[in-house]
Amino acid sequence: MIQLIFFLSIGALLFASLFFLARRNPRPEGSSGALIEARQALVALQAGLLPVELVQRIFANEDWEFVRSEAPAKVRELFMEERKKVALLWVEQVRTQIRSLRRFHSGSARSYARLNPRLEMELALSFAWLMSACRLLQVVVYIGGPYAAPRLVGAMANAASRACKISEQSLAFLNAAQLGLLSSGSTGQAAS
Amino acid sequence: MNTATRRMDVEHAVNDLRHRTLSEIPRSLDRLIYLASMRDYNTGLYYHDGLASRFTQEVACEALADCHREAFNQLVSCSLRDLVGQMEEYINSTHTSPRNFVTAWRKLEPYRVAVPVETDPVVAHFLFSSFKIALAVLEARLRSAQPEPVA
Repeated sequence: MIQLIFFLSIGALLFASLFFLARRNPRPEGSSGALIEARQALVALQAGLLPVELVQRIFANEDWEFVRSEAPAKVRELFMEERKKVALLWVEQVRTQIRSLRRFHSGSARSYARLNPRLEMELALSFAWLMSACRLLQVVVYIGGPYAAPRLVGAMANAASRACKISEQSLAFLNAAQLGLLSSGSTGQAAS
Repeated sequence: MNTATRRMDVEHAVNDLRHRTLSEIPRSLDRLIYLASMRDYNTGLYYHDGLASRFTQEVACEALADCHREAFNQLVSCSLRDLVGQMEEYINSTHTSPRNFVTAWRKLEPYRVAVPVETDPVVAHFLFSSFKIALAVLEARLRSAQPEPVA
């Protein structure tokens, strides 16, 4: 009887430790999920959020000039309100994707021997600067509107593009074929 | 069919579509609406009988999707002045009353279903927002063009 209680206690203890471990770290560092997430963040930034044409369009002064010269006050208000929403959404998305990339790099630096320490250090500094710039830009746009800090927008977009390039270099050893394997592997894991 | 051959077929189909059909549709707004209408809302697949008969259904679908993305990107990179101009010309081409058109578009927001799949949400939001502003500009123009009511 004592033996049964002893083994049941050990079993319960192991189960509880597993439960807490799983809750503490749902996405293990260096997992295929983290790699795919990092790759997706890179694609979202490079193809979706950071192309110069898009940034220029969102913050285009010529649109404001057009509305100011053509439309009544009510439309001008609508324009400012809409552009402010878009600008804030853009900054928030850039911030989210940068945070996702930073999470991957800070977690994976310990897991992948092939990552270059100098590049990782450069990235860490870029990420720190970018996160602060995003926060500052959010405040400035919220208070002053979408045209309040054109230089900061440009500097942030350039810095984000540079960070993406460094991150891409850093992840170069993960080619598409490997990612395909990882992706199918993670799908298989999820299915099983 | 390997990936390279398939990609070449898609390129040929894209050129065919541009040459035969899209060259007749000069404005990117009209192209976007036309290409979105080629898509089945239930499956997300594009259908074009003529193109499918010259290539295959899969190649035609991919070519239409490519052109749809291209038209979308062209419209996103338009200035607001250009978008308003394109909308005015589009309204004239539909032969509907501009007032009814603006009212219907403001209520129904049909442009929301004209976005290609996997478009970045921020980019889609930006275009929707531009449409909203463009409609407000057009409405203001219509109001100012309306003759003063006789007392």
